[in-house]
Amino acid sequence: MDVFTPLITAFDLPFMARALLVLVVLSLVAGLVGVLVNLRGLEFISDGLTHAVFPGVAIGFVWGGRDGLFVGAMVAALIAAVVLTVIVKRAVTSDAAIAVVFTAMFSVGIIVVSRETNYVGQLDALLFGRLLTVSPAEVNQTVSVCLIALVMVGFTLKEQVFRAFDREGTAAAGYRPLALDIVLNVAIALVVVAASSAVGNLLVLAVLIVPGAVARLVTNRLWLLFPVAAGFAVVAAWVGLALGYEASVNGGVDLPSGATIVLVLVAGYGVALVLRLALDRIGGHHRTRRTASQLAEPAAP
Amino acid sequence: MAAASFAYGAEPALTGIDFAVSPGQAVALIGPNGSGKSTLLKGILGLITRTSGTVEVLGQWPAPAGYIGYVPQTDQLDPHFPVSLEQVVMMGRYRSLGWWRLPSKADHRAVAEALETVDLGARARTRFGELSGGQQQRGLLARAVASAPRLLLLDEPFNGLDQINRDALIETVKRLKQQGVAVLVSTHDLDLARAVCESVLLLNGAQVAFGPRDAVLTLANVQQAFGSVGVEMDEHTIVVPGHGGH
Repeated sequence: MDVFTPLITAFDLPFMARALLVLVVLSLVAGLVGVLVNLRGLEFISDGLTHAVFPGVAIGFVWGGRDGLFVGAMVAALIAAVVLTVIVKRAVTSDAAIAVVFTAMFSVGIIVVSRETNYVGQLDALLFGRLLTVSPAEVNQTVSVCLIALVMVGFTLKEQVFRAFDREGTAAAGYRPLALDIVLNVAIALVVVAASSAVGNLLVLAVLIVPGAVARLVTNRLWLLFPVAAGFAVVAAWVGLALGYEASVNGGVDLPSGATIVLVLVAGYGVALVLRLALDRIGGHHRTRRTASQLAEPAAP
Repeated sequence: MAAASFAYGAEPALTGIDFAVSPGQAVALIGPNGSGKSTLLKGILGLITRTSGTVEVLGQWPAPAGYIGYVPQTDQLDPHFPVSLEQVVMMGRYRSLGWWRLPSKADHRAVAEALETVDLGARARTRFGELSGGQQQRGLLARAVASAPRLLLLDEPFNGLDQINRDALIETVKRLKQQGVAVLVSTHDLDLARAVCESVLLLNGAQVAFGPRDAVLTLANVQQAFGSVGVEMDEHTIVVPGHGGH
C-alpha cells in the first residue's frame, strides 16, 4: 500500500463519499468566490458575514433542528448580505460598523443556542461543522446553494473583476456598483451557508480566503486565478479529508475533519508563499505582494 | 447641467453648477485642490448624491449605458491588481458585450486599435501596474476610446506625466473631439486647457465662472477661485503660494 492509496480507499465508505462530494462542490465555488474576495479586499466583510449568519443558523436549529438550520442560515445570509452592502456604502468607518453589528449578532446566536440542552455539543457542531455526519438531504441542499452562488458569480464575473479594479469606471460604463456588490456579498453569504453544516461557521472563512490568496501567489494572470484557486481548494479538501480519516482510523489520532482541512489549506498557503519568495529572489524581483499578514486570522467569536 | 448641487451625505460638496458642453467641444474644470472638480465628475457618473438642480447627458438622466468614458486618476487604482493592459482596455468593451459573453474578434480588434491610438500596442501584455504613470494614464484613455463614448471625463490626466506623454494625450483627446466626442477635463494645467478646451469652468466649492476659455481665465477670476491674493498666472500654470507649481 503506497501513500496515495488512502486518498482513494477512504472514500469507499458512503459517509466519506458524501463528505467528499460536499467539499469538492464547496471548494470549487468558494475558490471562485474567494478570488473576488481577494481582489476586492473583502476578507473582513466575509468575516462579518460568517458572524452574521450564525444567529440565523442557531435560531433555525433551535426552531427546527437540522432542517431548520438551513432555512435560518439562508434567511440570515440574505438579510446580512444586503444590510452589509448598504452599511459599507454609507458608513464612514465601515470596519467599526461591521465589527459592532456582527459580533453583536454572533452573541445573539450563542445566547439562542445556550438555551438548548446539550449546549456545548450543539455549539461545537454549529461552529466547527460535522462533515462526517452530513445526510444525503444536506448534500442536496449544500450543492444547490453552491450552484446558485456559482451562477450569480459566473454570470457577473467579468463585471465583478472590472468593479474590483475600478469602481468609478464601472459606474461610468453604466453598471450599478451597488447592485454588483449585493450580488457578490449574497454569493459570499451563500458559500457561508453551504459551508455551515460541513466545515462549520468559523472555519468557512479559511475555505473562502486561503485559496484566493494562494492563487495570487501562484500567478499574476487574471483568468488563471480562478482555476488555480478552485483547483487548490479541491485538492486541499480531498487531502485534508483523507488525512483526517487515516489518522483517526489507522493512526489512532482523532483529527476533526473540518479543522484538518483548514490546516491543509494553510499549509498549502505556506508552501506557496515560500516558493513565491524563493522564485522572486532568484528572479531578482522585489515585488510587494499581499502576504501572510493579510491572510485573515481565524475568527474568534 | 443646471443649478446642480452635490453632497457627500449631509455635507454639501459643490453648489450652483450651471454649464453645458457640446459634441466635439471640451470644457476644462479648473480650481484648487478640494474645489469640487472630482466631485463634479462623480456627480455626472451618478456616484454621489445630487441635492438640487438637473444633470443631463445627451438629454437623458441617468446617462445611458456606454455614453460616458471615464479616465480616473491612476493613483486611485491598485498597482498590484493582476490585470494586463490589454485586459484593462477590454473593460471598455464589457458593457456593449453584455453579461456572460466572452469578447469576440471584433472586441479584440477594437482593443488593439485603441492601444494603437495611444501608442501602446507593444505593451498590451504588460501587467498594468508595471507601466509608468503616463502609460497607465494613456492605457485608461485607451479603455475609454475602446468604449466609443459620447462624453469623455478626464480627472487630472496630466498629473505626473512627462512631456512625451502629455503630447500623446493631447493628440488623442483632439482626435476624439474631431469624432464628435464631448470632453470634460479637470486639470491644474493651463497648457492642457489651452490645447484642447474651448471653455473653462472655474470652481471653488461653487461655480466661480463659466464661459469661453480666455474670457474666464482672467487673473481676477482665478484669484477668486483659488482664494488667495498671491495667485499668479502665466501662459502655462497657475502659481499658488505654498503649492509649488500649482
